[in-house]
Amino acid sequence: MARKRSEAARAAAREIGRVTVIRLTLYYLVAGVLLLCLSALLPQDAIAPMPGQPPADMQGAIDWFRGQVAMFPTGAPRWLDALLQMIAAFLLVLPLAFVYVRTRTRVKFDRSLVQTVIVLPIVVSAILVVVRDSLALAFSLAGIVAAVRFRNTLKESGDAVYIFGSIGIGFATGIHAISVAAVLSIVFVIVELALWKFDFSAEFERTFARLCLPSGADLAEVQELRSEPPKAAAPAGNGAGDDRTVLLRVYVDRVEDARPAIEAVLARDTKRWTLEQVIAGANDPPLLTYRVRARKSVGMDALRERLLREGAPHVVAADEPPPGS
Amino acid sequence: MSRLTPPVSERDHLLGSADARVTLVEYGDFECPYCGALHPVIQAARQAFGGNLRFGFRHFPLRSSHPHALAAAKAAEAAAEQGRFWEMHDRLYRRQTELEDEDLLRHARKIGLDVARFERELPARTHEVRIREDLASAAQSGAGGTPSLFINGELYQGPLDRDDVFAALARAAVATIP
Repeated sequence: MARKRSEAARAAAREIGRVTVIRLTLYYLVAGVLLLCLSALLPQDAIAPMPGQPPADMQGAIDWFRGQVAMFPTGAPRWLDALLQMIAAFLLVLPLAFVYVRTRTRVKFDRSLVQTVIVLPIVVSAILVVVRDSLALAFSLAGIVAAVRFRNTLKESGDAVYIFGSIGIGFATGIHAISVAAVLSIVFVIVELALWKFDFSAEFERTFARLCLPSGADLAEVQELRSEPPKAAAPAGNGAGDDRTVLLRVYVDRVEDARPAIEAVLARDTKRWTLEQVIAGANDPPLLTYRVRARKSVGMDALRERLLREGAPHVVAADEPPPGS
Repeated sequence: MSRLTPPVSERDHLLGSADARVTLVEYGDFECPYCGALHPVIQAARQAFGGNLRFGFRHFPLRSSHPHALAAAKAAEAAAEQGRFWEMHDRLYRRQTELEDEDLLRHARKIGLDVARFERELPARTHEVRIREDLASAAQSGAGGTPSLFINGELYQGPLDRDDVFAALARAAVATIP
């Protein structure tokens, strides 16, 4: 029951508000209308989709392929064509940048990556417009890129996905497949937001335990049986994860009496919480270690005070250990 | 087991409710570095235990090794005359290397004391008498050095790190729950 409450609190902390969804939907609608309007301004006489099988000759096959994937006919001057593709890339990558900002904590947030994600597809799109169907230009580009050494350590491996997503959008717009870029952008945003909201596989141990243990088994009890110390904490907050997540140690007289009262307070006054460890020594009183993220409106001092008051007489102390202890 | 003698009374400097489950008494010396290291642990304990902990302080200035300790203890007592014992106590522990006479006056000013009155009362005989009484009680209680802690009247002889002190306090608190 407590675990269910914990999960509910965790999910609530990663809330994707209705406003966010509405804004994203409206954004895509407006961007779609804008791109259609821009395309309508372009000449319509260059490439038309060609039905049937691709022609046997190479040039014919390329024209057929471009006709299949092109959302807009591209009979415009090259600079105008490039501009349209770059605008499309920009409009379609902005939601990715938004999702990145929304889903990253302050510690993991990388401002330069946001800028990279926005600019990269514009550049990729422009390069593809330049290269067009020229094999010689493509090889030249490969040579130039090979001569430049790019090496950057990303803060999180997940950030690479944004880079790939961004390149994908730039690539798609660069070959006039704006519809493909739009689909990629929308699917990427939905999947990333969903993974973030449901905190998919965020805690390997819990996911693993869920798969292996009987329904309703308590991970904290499993940890206790295994007599293993909790996993090493990251050097942030008091060493418990992101910058606002802290460890909270609660000294109690009896675990079974104290937990309902403690967890009722945590469910009410924290954004999310998990029971990390229960230590019940032979001589020392039981010590429950929670990982919590307090609500801004409550704060840790008030949370401790409420735990002591509402957990009385079973809760005797609630301590927020300093980093590294 | 050494017992706190005399027990905690109205005479002591106390922080917290008399209803608290645990009463922690420290025999301390404001110039002792170990007492200085223990100070944040006790502050954290007061925060963590809230109303379950009452904290008391008794003087144990080791004059032979800490030449400023007695003056600092008197300064704390002079501050107590103006109802600011704990402010001075905290400040002296935070600034253990600033215990010269002029430093004590500065501390008094900083914590908002009437400095003229503080200066006048600092050498008062009553303060010295009280400090001597505390020293005598330390000897009676079996406190061999500083800092010495008594938890619910019993001498605590474990390590003075945060985890061990907290565990000892929690043990004492839990023991009072029916």
